[in-house]
Amino acid sequence: MRAKFGYTAAGATVFAAVLAPFLLYGMFTKGFAALGLHVDEMYSGGPKVRTVQTASYSIDIHRPVYPHMLQTENPFVQLDWKPVSALPPHVSDVVDVDGDGHPDIRVSFDVPKDPKAPLRVNVEALNPRYDAMRNVGKEKFSRLIVRVDDAILVRVPLAQP
Amino acid sequence: MATKAQILKANKAAPRTIGRSLLLTSPIALWSLLMFANPQRQSNRSLQIASVITSVFMIALFFKMMRTGSTYRWRRWFFVGLGILFPVGFIHNVMVMRGTMGIPIEEMIAGRTPFCYLPIPLLILPAAFTKTLVFPGSILPGGGMSGAGMAAMAGLWLAITLVIGKGWCSYACFFGGIEEGMAAVPTRAKLRKIDPRWRYGPWAVLLAMVLLSLALFEPAYCMWLCPFKAVSEYVAARNTVGMVQNGIFVVLFAGLVIALPLLTKKRTQCAFFCPFGAFQSIFNKTSVFDVKIDRTRCSPCVLCKTACPTMSLTDESIARGETLMSCMKCGACVDACPKDAAVWHIKGTEVGIKPERARLMFLYGAWAMAIVFGGSIIAEGLATILHIFV
Amino acid sequence: MLAGRAGLRLNTHYLSKFLAARFLGYLLFAAVAWELGALVSLPPAPRMLLFGVIHVALAGVLLWYAYTAGHICAQLCSGSELVSIGVTRKRGMSGAAVLGFLTGLSLCPPFVAAGVRAAELGSVAAALLFFAVFFIGTSVWFVPFVGLGCVTRNEGVITVARMAMVLIALYYAYLGFAMLLGRKVYGY
Repeated sequence: MRAKFGYTAAGATVFAAVLAPFLLYGMFTKGFAALGLHVDEMYSGGPKVRTVQTASYSIDIHRPVYPHMLQTENPFVQLDWKPVSALPPHVSDVVDVDGDGHPDIRVSFDVPKDPKAPLRVNVEALNPRYDAMRNVGKEKFSRLIVRVDDAILVRVPLAQP
Repeated sequence: MATKAQILKANKAAPRTIGRSLLLTSPIALWSLLMFANPQRQSNRSLQIASVITSVFMIALFFKMMRTGSTYRWRRWFFVGLGILFPVGFIHNVMVMRGTMGIPIEEMIAGRTPFCYLPIPLLILPAAFTKTLVFPGSILPGGGMSGAGMAAMAGLWLAITLVIGKGWCSYACFFGGIEEGMAAVPTRAKLRKIDPRWRYGPWAVLLAMVLLSLALFEPAYCMWLCPFKAVSEYVAARNTVGMVQNGIFVVLFAGLVIALPLLTKKRTQCAFFCPFGAFQSIFNKTSVFDVKIDRTRCSPCVLCKTACPTMSLTDESIARGETLMSCMKCGACVDACPKDAAVWHIKGTEVGIKPERARLMFLYGAWAMAIVFGGSIIAEGLATILHIFV
Repeated sequence: MLAGRAGLRLNTHYLSKFLAARFLGYLLFAAVAWELGALVSLPPAPRMLLFGVIHVALAGVLLWYAYTAGHICAQLCSGSELVSIGVTRKRGMSGAAVLGFLTGLSLCPPFVAAGVRAAELGSVAAALLFFAVFFIGTSVWFVPFVGLGCVTRNEGVITVARMAMVLIALYYAYLGFAMLLGRKVYGY
C-alpha cells in the first residue's frame, strides 16, 4: 500500500514537472501577485497622494513613509518633479506638502542637461516638521535627490522627535 | 592490488544498450525540442544557434546518464556550464542596460533590481507581519533589469521545488556550478579533515539573516553576505557601509567559492554557508524522492561519504541507511558506491528494490526542470558569446 | 519543565503559562531599559561614543557566550526543585509562570544587547514593540519542544545557536566600531 502511494506520488511529481512551465508556473506567479503584497515603501517612496500643477511641470507629493521595526532610515516624504524636459535650468519651489494651505518647504536644485550628471538639492524647512537639507546628493533612501526616468525625485526627511 | 576504479567498474552493472538508452532519452529529447523551439527564442540568430547547441547538449547528457547508469558526472557538466554561463549572460545584460555591475540607488527606487531566489526565505516574516516585500524590485515586470518580476521568480521557485525539493541545489541553482567546477579541478583534496559541525553553518546563517532581515527590514543576506554578488551585481557603494559590504562579498567569494572548493573538493559555500540551501533542506522532507543506503549491501567502505560534495553522509547516517536532510540528490554517493548500496529511492517503497526505476522517475522530473530553467540560462549565456561572431 | 511526560495538552498549558509570564518580564525590562536610556541625556556625539562602546562590549560578551556555550553541561532537566510544576497547590504561584517571569528578566547577553537597542529608541512604545518582536523571535524555538516531551539540547541546536550568535555579534561589533569612528551608519 505504501509502495503504491509512493509510486503514485512519484508519478504525480513527474506529471507536475511537465505541467510546471505550462500551468504551475503561471498559477503560482498569479497567486503570488494576488497576495496583496507591496514592495517596501522605503524603496518605492509610498503612494502618490496629491499633485501640484505649475505652468509647465507638476510636483507629485507622496504619502510620508515611516520606517518599520528597526529599519535604520528616517521617516521621509517624497516629491517628484516631472517631466524633466519641462523643468527650467534652476528649480526653486515652495511646496505645501501636507495640503493645509501653508508652505512647508522650499526646494532648490539645478537641472543639468546631462541626464547622468549628479544632482544636489537644498531644502529650507519652513515648517519645523521637516528637516532642512544642504547640498544633499544621494546619501540614503530617506534623504536624497535622484533622477528616475523622466522625473526628479527628492526625499525630504521628517524631523525626529 | 585492484585500483578503486577497477573495483568500481567490476561491481557496477553493465551499461544499457544504445537502443534502450535512446528510447529512454526520447521523452527528454521531445521535451527539449519543445522548450527550445519556442518562437520567442528565434528573435536573433545567435540565440537560435545557442538554443540548438543547448538542446543537443542537454539531450546528450541525459543519453549518457541512461547509457552509463551514472548520474553525477553528467549532471556536473550541465551544472558547471550553468554556473559559468549565467554570469556571462547576466553581466552582459547589466552592462548593456546600466553600464555597471553596481546597482545605483535610482534603480532600486525604480524597482528595477533583478530578483533571484536567494532572498526568498528572508522575505517571509516581514511579508507575514506587514505585507511588505523588503526587496527593491517589482512584483510584476517593471522594465530594465527587473526581468519578469518577483512574482515570476517566486512562482518558478515553487514549481521547481515541488518537483525536486532540495534537488534545486543540483539542478537549478545558477551559482552552485562555479564551486562544483572548482571542486572538480584538483585530483585529490588537500584539506581532508573538516569538522562536521560546519554543516550547521547554513542554518546559523539562515537564522541570523532571517532575524536581521525582520529587524532591519532589508534583505540582510543580499546586503551583507551573498558571495555571488561577485558574478552578478552588488549595491554601488555610496558610503562606508557600502564599502564594508562589498569587501565582505569579495572575501567570501574568494574563500568559499574559489579557494576552499579547490582545497577540499567540496561545495563549501553550499555545504557550510548558503542559507537558501538550509531553507531548501526543509523541502527534502516533502519530496517523494531520496537517497538511501541498502544496509544489506553496505560494507561500509564510506566511499559515499568521501564522494559527497556537501558532507550529507556521516557514519551514523550510513548506519541508519539514509542521507542527512542536506542531501542535494546530486548522485555522487550512488555513483561512488562499489556495492550498489547507495541507491535512489521513492519514499514508501522498499530500499534497494528497483532503484533504477526511482532514479529514472527522479531524473525525468529533474532534467525536465533543468532544461526549462537552467537550459534557457545556458542558451542566453551562449548567445551572448556567439553574438560576437554571428 | 517538559521533561516529565505529561502529554501534549498539559505541556501546551505549561508552555503557555511560561511564555506569557516571560512576555511580561520582557515588557517590564523594556520599559525600564527605555527609561534608563531617556535619562542618559548626553549630546549626540558623546552619546554615540557611549553606545558605540556598549555595542562593542556586548559583541564581545556575545562572542564569549558563544564560545563557552559549547562547554555547558546538557543535563539541565535534573536539579533541585525550586518550583514544582504539575503539583496541585492550594496556595502559591504556578511554577511555570514563575519560571517564565524569571527567564523574562534574566540578563543573558543577547537580552542585554536587545535592551541597549531598546534604550536607544525614540519612545517607550517603540521599546515595548522591539521587545515584543524579540520575544516572538526567541520564543518560537520553545514551541516545537511541546511535542517532543523533553528539552533536549542536541549538538545541532547548540551549534546553530552559537554560530548565529557569532554572526549577530559581528554585526554588533561593526555597528559599535562604526559609531566609535564617528561614521554614519544608516540612520545613526
